[in-house]
Amino acid sequence: MHGKEGLLLNTAIKLLYIEDDLEIGSWVNEDLRKRGYEVVWLKNGDQALAEAASCQLVILDVMLPGLDGFTVGQRLKRSKADLPILMLSARSSIDDKLQGLQFADDYLTKPFHPDELAARVDVLLRRVGAHDAQPLAIKHLLVYQQENRVVDQTTGEEIMLTGKQYQIFHYLLRHLGQIMTKEQIYEAVWDEPYWDGDKTLMVHIRYLREKIEQDPANPEIIETIRGVGYRIKA
Amino acid sequence: MKLRRTPKFYGSLLSRYALIILIALVFIPVALPASFLASWLVSRTVFPDSGIHERSVYGNASELTAAWHKEALQLRTASEEQIGRRLGELKNQYPGSFIFRVNHEGRTTIRLPEQTGLPDVWSTEQLVSYMKNHQDGDPFTIVAFIGDNENTQRGFIVLEVPRSLLLRPIGDGSDRFYGVMLGLLVLFFAGISYWFIRGIRRRLLRLSAAMASPSKSGIPLPIQVGKPDEIGLLEETFNDMVEQLDTSRRREQEEERLRKTLISNLSHDLRTPLTVIGSHLYSLKNESLSDHGQASIQLVESKMKDLDHLIDHLLSYNLLTSGKYALSRQHQDVIRLVRESAAAWYPLWEKEGMLPDIDLGESPLNWNVDGQAFRRVLDNLFQNAVRHASSGAYIGLFTEERHGRTALTIKDRGPGLSAGSSSKGAGLGLAIVDLLLREMGLCREAASGPEGTTLWIYPKPERF
Repeated sequence: MHGKEGLLLNTAIKLLYIEDDLEIGSWVNEDLRKRGYEVVWLKNGDQALAEAASCQLVILDVMLPGLDGFTVGQRLKRSKADLPILMLSARSSIDDKLQGLQFADDYLTKPFHPDELAARVDVLLRRVGAHDAQPLAIKHLLVYQQENRVVDQTTGEEIMLTGKQYQIFHYLLRHLGQIMTKEQIYEAVWDEPYWDGDKTLMVHIRYLREKIEQDPANPEIIETIRGVGYRIKA
Repeated sequence: MKLRRTPKFYGSLLSRYALIILIALVFIPVALPASFLASWLVSRTVFPDSGIHERSVYGNASELTAAWHKEALQLRTASEEQIGRRLGELKNQYPGSFIFRVNHEGRTTIRLPEQTGLPDVWSTEQLVSYMKNHQDGDPFTIVAFIGDNENTQRGFIVLEVPRSLLLRPIGDGSDRFYGVMLGLLVLFFAGISYWFIRGIRRRLLRLSAAMASPSKSGIPLPIQVGKPDEIGLLEETFNDMVEQLDTSRRREQEEERLRKTLISNLSHDLRTPLTVIGSHLYSLKNESLSDHGQASIQLVESKMKDLDHLIDHLLSYNLLTSGKYALSRQHQDVIRLVRESAAAWYPLWEKEGMLPDIDLGESPLNWNVDGQAFRRVLDNLFQNAVRHASSGAYIGLFTEERHGRTALTIKDRGPGLSAGSSSKGAGLGLAIVDLLLREMGLCREAASGPEGTTLWIYPKPERF
């Protein structure tokens, strides 16, 4: 999500960033702004609840003066359950990670690369549909996520997907660029435990490819990661 | 710790057991006659004699003998007629009896009732034979000289009474239940002893059950203290022990918390400056620099990454070796964990030019592991592969049979473990892997050569 395209896409997306370290804070703040986000940077968690109301994602440091990041995060989740929270911490011990992930949607340890932070922010925003207003261009497809519409750009025709096909496609788009395992996809779409050797998913993916791929034998949109799962690359 | 009192003798198990033994001993002189009496009474009850009234005329054997001898004495001076009359009266008195009289000359003069079978004239042999046959026999036979003295030379009178008509003296024949009664008494004491021992046993078993069933915290719950005897003391001691364990566990938890906080703070203090350095490196990279400058920044960046991993490993290792990281193991499909971990690492493998070859099969592989710890193991192993074996441009993940067990196999085509690698710190990462695997009952086997390294992870034999 670099350059003009990303800038355009991220406009009007407001992030809440809570960080007490001024050096790190100003650097991250600047970097995120360069990527087109509107950033509200707080030095402590006191105003977090009030500011969070207008924001679409929270980046939260764990070590904060006053209320610690875990407490602030839990309060934010309680008041606004669908608000994605990315924990950013210099504490990386195993327990901290677990404690953070009990309520946080993702966890990134310092030191981190700004590209990695941006990528994770993007993934989280996609998961909650913050980008849904803009149509998403994937190869020859144009996906209008809010209207559940998929259009073939080469012909201009709309592609009709069945409920399950759309759900699988939508799930992979929500995790754009990420590899999702067969178990994860199956359980998210069917909402029931995955049984070993279940062929249902494979069959649905095959039919889905027949509809959206230009050459279903050599799929370009839904990539098979052998032995792991599937991925749609951005 | 509280000072232990020895239990008071009164109320102790010892005193109660001593009491039982004492009662048993004191009871022996009572028990024997008592069982005899009981036996007689039972005998009377079980075999009530129908002819008791008839028999009461005869009395018992010794009474009848005395009476017969008395009659004989009284007949000392009586004439033959008087004797005959008296014997007739006696026959009426003892209707079931047979009475006869033999005079001085050995002639049978009176038979009541009249019956044959007795010699009219007794020879010495016949007399001796009669006496021998009737001694202690049935009928009960009493022979008495007239005048109760052979010197009167007036012959003798004989009374034969069937023994069934005689009263039995106390104890005679009624001792058939004596053994039973004594046995019952012994059983009674055995019962008391059993009841006593059973009481002890039940309390000991309760204690044992309490010890064997720990609460959620892993420490048994205190139990209610019963009687203040030896077992009561044991129960009290047990409760004290539980309390001490609980205190020490709480202290340990506190230490664990402090240590975790310390490590977290340490981690924070080390990483914050690293992050700042990183941010400036990133800014520098965007400046126009010479190739040499860019290369330097690249090197600093890679060293910073190594330092970051080292800090993470060092702190984790500290936490793990001090036993302050509790694993919560449960049976779960590790293939699923591997797949998810591989999905997360896949982009990096691609970026490093490593071709992933993943074939984990379709069937689940259920091991008793802590999910978080198992992910950590995989992360460390994958990290090592990326850092030391990316030159092999290959990483393979399989399931394989190994020593009769299904093993998870991780394969690379790097220069091997023995070859020196540019980035150090793999040792600590592997140490953490081994520590976590051991905690989860798994083991790691490695085969390394110039063509690459293969790792097998499988459950330790003794656990299965």
